[in-house]
Amino acid sequence: MMWGALQRKGVLGINRRNARYTLFSNDRSRYPLVDDKLATKRLCSEANIPVPRLLARAGLHREARLLPERLRREASFVLKPARGAMGNGILVIHGDGKGGFLRAGRPIPEEDLVYHAAGIISGLYSLAGHQDAALVEERLEAHLELASLAPGGVPDVRVIVYRGLPVMAMIRLPTLRSGGRANLHQGAIGAGIDLARSRTSHAVLRHRPVSVHPDTGESVVGVGIPEFERVLEIAVHATDRTGLSYVGADVVVDAVRGPVILELNARPGLVIQLATRAGLRPRLDAVDRLLGRHDCDWQQALPVQERVVLGQQIAAEQAG
Amino acid sequence: MSRSVFVTGLLLVAAGLGLLAVKVGVYGIPLVPTETPGPWQVELRIHVRGEGGRGSVRALLPPPSATQSIFDERSSSDRLSFSIREQEENRLGVWTGWLEDIHEIVYQFRIQSRPREVAVPAPGEGEPLSRALRLQFTRPTSALPASAAAVKELLAQLDLPSQDDVAARIRTIYAFVAHEIERIPSAGDDALLTLAHRGGSAEGKERLLITLLRGAGIPARVVRGLELREGVTPEPRTWAEASARGVWIPLSAVHDFFGSRPEAFIELGRGEQPLVEATGVRVVGHRFMAIRESLRPDEIASLLAPDNPVLRKLSLYRLPVPSQAALRVLLLLPLGALTVAFFRNGIGIATYGTFLPVLIALALRDYPLSMGLALVAIVTGLAVFARGGLERLRLLMVPRLSILLCLVVLVVTGLALLGEDVELPDLFAGVVFPIVILTMLVERLYITSAEEGLREALIRAFWSVVVAAGIHPLLRSEIAGYLMFSFPELVIAIVGLLVWIGGYTGYRVADLVRFRALVRDGSGARPS
Repeated sequence: MMWGALQRKGVLGINRRNARYTLFSNDRSRYPLVDDKLATKRLCSEANIPVPRLLARAGLHREARLLPERLRREASFVLKPARGAMGNGILVIHGDGKGGFLRAGRPIPEEDLVYHAAGIISGLYSLAGHQDAALVEERLEAHLELASLAPGGVPDVRVIVYRGLPVMAMIRLPTLRSGGRANLHQGAIGAGIDLARSRTSHAVLRHRPVSVHPDTGESVVGVGIPEFERVLEIAVHATDRTGLSYVGADVVVDAVRGPVILELNARPGLVIQLATRAGLRPRLDAVDRLLGRHDCDWQQALPVQERVVLGQQIAAEQAG
Repeated sequence: MSRSVFVTGLLLVAAGLGLLAVKVGVYGIPLVPTETPGPWQVELRIHVRGEGGRGSVRALLPPPSATQSIFDERSSSDRLSFSIREQEENRLGVWTGWLEDIHEIVYQFRIQSRPREVAVPAPGEGEPLSRALRLQFTRPTSALPASAAAVKELLAQLDLPSQDDVAARIRTIYAFVAHEIERIPSAGDDALLTLAHRGGSAEGKERLLITLLRGAGIPARVVRGLELREGVTPEPRTWAEASARGVWIPLSAVHDFFGSRPEAFIELGRGEQPLVEATGVRVVGHRFMAIRESLRPDEIASLLAPDNPVLRKLSLYRLPVPSQAALRVLLLLPLGALTVAFFRNGIGIATYGTFLPVLIALALRDYPLSMGLALVAIVTGLAVFARGGLERLRLLMVPRLSILLCLVVLVVTGLALLGEDVELPDLFAGVVFPIVILTMLVERLYITSAEEGLREALIRAFWSVVVAAGIHPLLRSEIAGYLMFSFPELVIAIVGLLVWIGGYTGYRVADLVRFRALVRDGSGARPS
């Protein structure tokens, strides 16, 4: 019963995602472009796609020891692994104005920063435990219209891009329980976005439907996403650069800079279907019908804006 | 599932099962092991270092008798000639030749032990031993000083029943040695010292028993053999035989039997002949190995040498005992891998690594499940406990994990001591492999707890152990072991099943659970 109901809804299961989309249509040799945030950053910068500014990079333990000195003047920054997964190992740090550092409002000793960077370099947070590099990026700030929705964190928009078309999107709202992180399995809210209307339509918290943010009580359904067209455009544009055909792009709408690509993911999760309350399969199949055979060179044919419109149409048709 | 995947899987499954069907249907190989315990397969491996001249190696070979049948005997030795010599009541295997450097001699046989109760014939029945034999087996020797004063004195004290009731006389002497003489493993083998101290080694007690029997005029002799136990190296055993009205009665004051030897004991020979001896060599060493078969001898014969010459070549039952023992375990691993694939892709359980659960199950194979799980729980508990303390010291990754390994080793050492105290000395007999695997588990646990939090790490460890616990009975199952070993073609069928699982693009059970909210909402209609 359960089975048939999911089937009718067109829910994409993990086996099918792996077999048809992440394994079959994503060229394995291109994974490093998205797994390594530094490579993604370079890729996007070359095409003038906005990304968080890189403040420092430490690939060796002795470079990690130099970090506090280099970062003393910054008002705030984010320390993260270049090849981390699922938001692990990320520290958000503020300057205290006197050359010291604060984490979540409390002072954090310099040694702790160095120790954390050393852990990153040892591969503690990297995908397969390999040697990694610690990156320091500017801290993005939530757009004013979204700031009230996510106290203590920066929400980001996850866009699933398939063969150059945006097919599904949700906004991830950090909660106190998620520790300010925008990861659903850590307790962030996922709110599905209606691609055509640029508004959230449903929301889930830990796989259960919710309508208000547990920390603020504000409604998380029916919220308009600022500059949403631009979000979809840079998601599609960045995906084009990777040569991968099934990608989850994470975009932050920054208060100052507007939409910025945070990272790309070659194995995006499937919980987005819960947040949008829609299955992925009908949309993916519609893209395949529209574009025809898999190996044709369709990407260059259409400008990014037109593909965004196509994606919005497909989403609207499948929803209707 | 695509058509090509379905067909490929089907072909492989059909090939595997088809071969099995042919072996069962045409060549009559039994599909399941019989209930009755089958014969033992025993291997004697002798290593000698020669002196560079002619020499010989002699070993007692099991004699066929009413209580044990021997079949499928084989010997292999490099550059030595082999012959069997009958010597009085013993069968001696003799390997002779030019002995230099190291020679390895392997002698294998299958043996079915069928002990039965030997009754003493009623007076007047039975055929007494010949006078010569009677003399031979009542004669005092240096090892069996039956005429010593101490022996005579004790026999007088024992107040033996009359000469007519031989059975009662034997029983009285047996009861004395069994109950009044203490067993002291470190004591010597001398019969008189054992008597004087009222205690001696196993050998000493049996010698005293025989000495006393001879002293009382009852023919008695030493029997040498092995005790075979599953999963344990065969132990050399000595016991006694006493003749009552021409019938030899097996008895042992150490292993507590009278009239019928235990099924686990097999005979190798009689008298003072050692199990293995050699001349013209510098060093000689030997080792027994045994595995239990789960089939009747005739069924083994069909596996060992089927009518078909190709099958005969492919029969794993022809291999030496150690290779067989290793292959029996190895051939179970595909079943474990199949289980993991099913749990991960069919159910959607997240485990550590792909095959860690198989390795955990394999590591714990020699323990009962409860003990294995306790071991895992103790080791992981320790890792979680130590994690807190190590976190504070801010050590780098590799030394930190190495410290954990040291802690695991310490704990296992402690448990081994504990095992000794609660008389479970076998608990940590083969401990190296489990340690390696458990340390791997701890390492994964540690990394995951750093990356994704302790909760997630423990959940994943829990599921890994659950899957391992699911595989564990398979690895211990006699039927599974028999099937995979007798029909290795089943591996092909398993590959077919794995092709199916790999091509399965339907939902996992975990998907159904995860997306249940989508279904509950039912209509699929969108609120505006």
